[in-house]
Amino acid sequence: MKTPTPLVLDLIDAIGEEAVVWHDEDLLVYEYDGTIDRGNPDVIALPANTVDVVSLIKIANKYEAPVTPRGAGTGLSGGALAAKGGVIIGMNRMRRILDVDPENKTALVQPGVVNLDLGSEAERYGLAYAPDPSSQRACTIGGNIAENAGGPHTLAWGTTTNHVLALELVTADGEVQWIGHDTRDEPGYDLVGCVVGSEGTVGIVTQALVRLVPRPTAVRTMLAIYDSVRQASNAVSAVVASGIVPAALEMIDKMTIAAVEPVLNTGFPLDAEAVLLVEVDGPESQVEAEGARVEGILNRFEPRELRSATDPEEREHLWAGRKGAIGALGQIMPNYYLLDGVVPRTQLPDVLDGVYEIAERYRLPVANMFHAGDGNLHPCLLFDEREPGATERVLDAGGEIMRLCVDAGGAITGEHGVGLEKRDYLPWIFTEADMDTMKSLRAAFGPTENFNPCKIFPKGHGCGEAGHQHAQHQIAKFGPKAFV
Amino acid sequence: MAGAETGDTARLDSLSSLFDNVDSDSERLRRYAVDDLVPDGAVRATEIEDVERLQSFATERDLSVIAHGGRTMRDLGMPPRKYDVALDLSALDQVVDYEPNDFTITVQAGMTLAELQRHLATNGQFLPLDHPHFERATLGGICAVGRGGLRRGSFGGPRDWLIGMRMVKADGTAIKGGGKVVKNVSGYDLPKLFAGSLGTLGVIVEVTLKLRPQPASDQIVALNAPTFESALAASRAAANAAPFLNGCVALSAGASANAHDLGAKVLHDQPAILLRANGLETAASEVLAQALRAVRDAGIDNPERTTTAIVETWQAVADLELQNTEACVRLRLGLPPANLPRGQRILADNLPEVTSWVAAADSGLMLVDVPTVDADTVKTLRTLLGPLQGRLTIESGPLELKRAVDVWGPAGPGARLMHNVKAQFDPSGILSPGRFVDGI
Repeated sequence: MKTPTPLVLDLIDAIGEEAVVWHDEDLLVYEYDGTIDRGNPDVIALPANTVDVVSLIKIANKYEAPVTPRGAGTGLSGGALAAKGGVIIGMNRMRRILDVDPENKTALVQPGVVNLDLGSEAERYGLAYAPDPSSQRACTIGGNIAENAGGPHTLAWGTTTNHVLALELVTADGEVQWIGHDTRDEPGYDLVGCVVGSEGTVGIVTQALVRLVPRPTAVRTMLAIYDSVRQASNAVSAVVASGIVPAALEMIDKMTIAAVEPVLNTGFPLDAEAVLLVEVDGPESQVEAEGARVEGILNRFEPRELRSATDPEEREHLWAGRKGAIGALGQIMPNYYLLDGVVPRTQLPDVLDGVYEIAERYRLPVANMFHAGDGNLHPCLLFDEREPGATERVLDAGGEIMRLCVDAGGAITGEHGVGLEKRDYLPWIFTEADMDTMKSLRAAFGPTENFNPCKIFPKGHGCGEAGHQHAQHQIAKFGPKAFV
Repeated sequence: MAGAETGDTARLDSLSSLFDNVDSDSERLRRYAVDDLVPDGAVRATEIEDVERLQSFATERDLSVIAHGGRTMRDLGMPPRKYDVALDLSALDQVVDYEPNDFTITVQAGMTLAELQRHLATNGQFLPLDHPHFERATLGGICAVGRGGLRRGSFGGPRDWLIGMRMVKADGTAIKGGGKVVKNVSGYDLPKLFAGSLGTLGVIVEVTLKLRPQPASDQIVALNAPTFESALAASRAAANAAPFLNGCVALSAGASANAHDLGAKVLHDQPAILLRANGLETAASEVLAQALRAVRDAGIDNPERTTTAIVETWQAVADLELQNTEACVRLRLGLPPANLPRGQRILADNLPEVTSWVAAADSGLMLVDVPTVDADTVKTLRTLLGPLQGRLTIESGPLELKRAVDVWGPAGPGARLMHNVKAQFDPSGILSPGRFVDGI
């Protein structure tokens, strides 16, 4: 029988036995976040309020134990893994929507609130929470803030950073402070802008004041099926060039169609190469006119089929193939490795060709689903981790795809974060001076060496080395620097 | 005190050996005065390397530097503690990279907003930021000031359009943050940190911005109202009834008259409401009709519609922010929009005379001109506005007032972190020292 360490005993003392998880079999759930890397925490603590968070951080600091914040663990970049062990602070019990202010269009929430739950609550007031990651049924607002999450509907409304106004933050030294302001009128530096997207490396958000947007009175979703990815890409370019800003502009490719069709009965022909989803929303007359124009554009590129819906249920059906895509990949292979590259939108067709070429060269099936309007692509490399050498091939191919995005003038992550997974690639886009400056910003938030260690920046000491070696292969191949 | 007053120019002598274009003519240097402080020299950068060389020179000799763009807001903030060299960025005014179909553009910091908009208009695009004096205001300056304008309710502020930035740190190191893609979480968001930092962390030399397509239709309706209070109440009702409005502003008689003089011909010497909507023509009309119904229900009628002089009208109102700054004290209040009427009453009850009120009713922004105000009144107002989440800053005013009361207001809860940030980025404190929040 395992005996609790003094650290565990202190944590139990602070927040109660039921809120501390430390038996080996229970820790397994927290080892993983959907990437290839693993991390082994010593203990999980589940705070109920801000005071608990402060106590937990102070206890961890006393034992010099690393602290890793965690939301729903859907980030897919290893960001929520305890890379050096220590304490994972899981925010899932802090899941109350504290206030919705319909007149000022804001909501005050705890970090463990599930994205979709906030959306549903806002809907009662005729409002919406704009960022809507595909994992919105599970992912939490705290995690969204950490990763500056996007989603299909951020083409028109921007990402999480455009929707967070103020935060209660517990820094790595256990200090609590409110930063930001209801209308961004607090004089001083934009600390909220620094915390959003900092991947949980400068503190733990314990409350967030977020902006809500008016819910559109009408929505029209259009789905076009094309015989080639390039045809669909050209249609995307034409829609964007027309001056219309669609609410969403999404694409899935043939492999994804093959995965979703048998499970979700989407009615997609299995020999089609690409399915394009376009959504317009706003006042009714706008949606009617824009919808007609978008349909005209989509038709110019000779789709095999064009579907259109304004009814919520039918729209949901059109979306099913996109939103259920990741879940359905298991149909084809037991494991997937999802990348999160982002490129200037006009580079998408060429970069996609490159992705297919790399996947073929590494003998890996690849399913592409992406936010075509934003230039954010999510190639999913499919594999079976039980097959010897498969994981290595996947990581090598992943590195090559990331380099492809960088060379196209893009970046290594659009909405999932650098995390543990991509930290060795950060020098492909930033110089030592850039990264030193970022580290100095981190230092301003307190002594953070033990706070969510090994994330974002390369060369952490004692960090997990699984993905690291493969990153080194790619770095050896392409050189350590790019700085596009 | 400034070098100019003490006559200490020796430390600047070698500056002339480093740069061809050092200005030390005392008359011309007055153009770079900040709160009456005149620098000892001015360097007009013609390439980014000039900025790097100047900063490393300044760091070695402990010279304070204030960067200048169009100088439209040069007196914003507290009087500088020290000011040796002006760094003029207005010659860095080139487009670096523009691919219209990516809906992003990279420009140097000295490009004016007007020039940028002209460039974008040829491709049917624009940057949706209202900024006073856009013919002079530069992108670097707009980002350094970091404020949203009259349409911030729809479009936010510079931070929301910035996706990448190049800066030169206090010691001359060139760095960058963000990138050229609209969605990016690679590394910390340094562009957000620099937006609104008023030149205290580094010199912004290049920015990459997201863009929007120009709307098919852009419409404005102006209505006269009996009083500013009724205009404010009715515009609040319009903002609530028509959430897709792209602008909803209430003006006092004084503000309307000034805006008229600046080119807003639809406005007269009467309190007024301006409603703006854009999109496809039918949709914009529908949004305006919705807003007008709410305004009428609030007892205000007789719209004067214009679809021709939109930019001029709107810009004239935006320009009010920088009009007559010598003759008055300009206060800026930001608060949750629903609290606007209560905030306005607090100001009206405590200020002996107000010459002009402008309120963005959909976003809780108010600009208030008073002939004069004393430090105690400002402090009282801040205390009274605190519970409404109101933040009152002095946008411009006489030096005596700025010396008697902090223009930014008392340090907020984030001050400790802000001082830490400043210490990390500018440890010797040579960038715009003393101008920012809490003495930063």
